Amino acid sequence: MLILAVDSATQVAGVALVARDRVIREEFINFRRNHSEILMPQIDRVMKESQCDWAQITALAVTAGPGSFTGLRIGMATVKGLSLATGLPIAAIPTLDVLAHNLAGSHALVAALLDARRQEVYFSCYDVQERYPLGLLPMMACSPQKAALEIDALLEITGRGKVILVGDGVPPYQDYFVDFFAERLLPVSPHLMLSRAAALGSLAWRAADAQKLEDGLNVKPLYIRLSEAEYRLEKGVRAQ
Amino acid sequence: MKETYILGIETSCDETAAAIVKNGREILSNVVQSQISLHQKFGGVVPEVASRKHIETIAAVVEEAFAKAGLAYRSIDAVAVTNRPGLIGALLVGLSFAKALAYALNKPIIAINHLHGHIYANFLENPEIEFPCVCLVVSGGHTSLVYMPSHQDYQLIGETRDDAAGEAFDKVARFLGLSYPGGPAVEKAAREGTPGVNKLPRIYLDREDFEFSFSGLKTAVMNQWRKLEKLGLADVNDMAAEFQQALVEVLAEKTIRAAQKYQVKTVLMAGGVAANSLLRSTLKEKAAEKQLKVVYPPLSLCTDNAAMIAGRAYIQYMNQDFASLELNAYPGLLSL
Ligand SMILES: [Zn+2]
Repeated sequence: MLILAVDSATQVAGVALVARDRVIREEFINFRRNHSEILMPQIDRVMKESQCDWAQITALAVTAGPGSFTGLRIGMATVKGLSLATGLPIAAIPTLDVLAHNLAGSHALVAALLDARRQEVYFSCYDVQERYPLGLLPMMACSPQKAALEIDALLEITGRGKVILVGDGVPPYQDYFVDFFAERLLPVSPHLMLSRAAALGSLAWRAADAQKLEDGLNVKPLYIRLSEAEYRLEKGVRAQ
Repeated sequence: MKETYILGIETSCDETAAAIVKNGREILSNVVQSQISLHQKFGGVVPEVASRKHIETIAAVVEEAFAKAGLAYRSIDAVAVTNRPGLIGALLVGLSFAKALAYALNKPIIAINHLHGHIYANFLENPEIEFPCVCLVVSGGHTSLVYMPSHQDYQLIGETRDDAAGEAFDKVARFLGLSYPGGPAVEKAAREGTPGVNKLPRIYLDREDFEFSFSGLKTAVMNQWRKLEKLGLADVNDMAAEFQQALVEVLAEKTIRAAQKYQVKTVLMAGGVAANSLLRSTLKEKAAEKQLKVVYPPLSLCTDNAAMIAGRAYIQYMNQDFASLELNAYPGLLSL
């Protein structure tokens, strides 16, 4: 049985077919941003070139967020459409978990950061020594400085000497993090920096085994942030 | 002849809608999940809030459309979806869902221009309309006059230079402290008031072309209102009545002129503002004077819905006008 994993939460568009212990096929695109044009053809290629039909698929997986609001919805609307037609359940996995899973087995602390614009990152921190990542903090949107302080505190508490930073929220603040963590910061290779549909598929298997799959009608994106208008309305209401 | 069942999906603004239409005529289901109450506190449609609601409701709305039609997913012949014009984030939810659904069901995808859908709403209940026609498309997003020699040929002959008519209703309603959406609120207030007590301009009525402009009318309302308030003479109902009258007169008069210039026999109306009863009655009166026939959709098909999308798609289905999996959404009209 296979899981079809679909990721369009960030600038990466990724699709993978993942068996319980084996990645069958993966397509990763990180040079065009038009997810609405490329995602369905990617799914079509991955399915056709693996000679896969819907009867072989046991679940769908999607990066639930955080990420680009529009990107998240393209991925989620796509799996919801597939789910309605096929009756397949959905594993909605946080994007930050998927990023952390790239470093599975490392003894260092892993922090996943996504560029949230407005000088902020979506952020969480993980223990990845076991097969699957263990979240150590709730996911948040915060300044890179606040993220660094949170990581610093966790380095202290856990006694880990080193941290690895992954995600597209790292490069914009690279110099700051290098300064802040100095020799505590481990380098990371580019092929592990961005979300991979294969890693999403792997985490989806864990969700399937734990019976944490969702109905296509109920699954929702994880935005972390309110929309700008809701935020302003809430601020206005509080200010009055 | 084999029957053709088309699923339509529409998410271009603040309604999540799905419908199944048989042979381009018979509406088997028409589900519309309105977000009006959600946007009321913002005084207008907020794109990101609309997109968030679409993604939450889209699957349930489509499922309901199938349930009400009593059809299995596999028994439809095509999936039609609005891909322009509209709020881009909102359009992308419907488009991505529709493409994936069609792909998994192995059915063709049909891309629909939202305005073609609005215009087609006329044909759902009036199959005998004779071409050529002129159609006045008036909604929160559009104010256009379209000349239609046939179903395949829509020519834009004029449009608004600034605000759409529905947008003008919303903005004036907001300024006068009436509720959202502005169209029904202004209409209700106008019924209690008298047009002509205040005098507002009939903008562009003196021009030969078929262009419209409503932002000046809105400004005129604001300026007069402030003066009247100082004098203690401000009456919401009278102002609403004159505003509605000024807007409707221009729309109706220009539509009739267009019908005469293009020598058509039938005038169509489309879009949410076509639900305005003063616009309907005024256009009917003016048309009767010139021996023109006026057709408009029932109220439920004037505002955004997916039956008009599925209906319009039948014409494209017959022409095998199908889209690929690369189909994208676009905020603008590009061409009619
Ligand atoms: Zn519309």
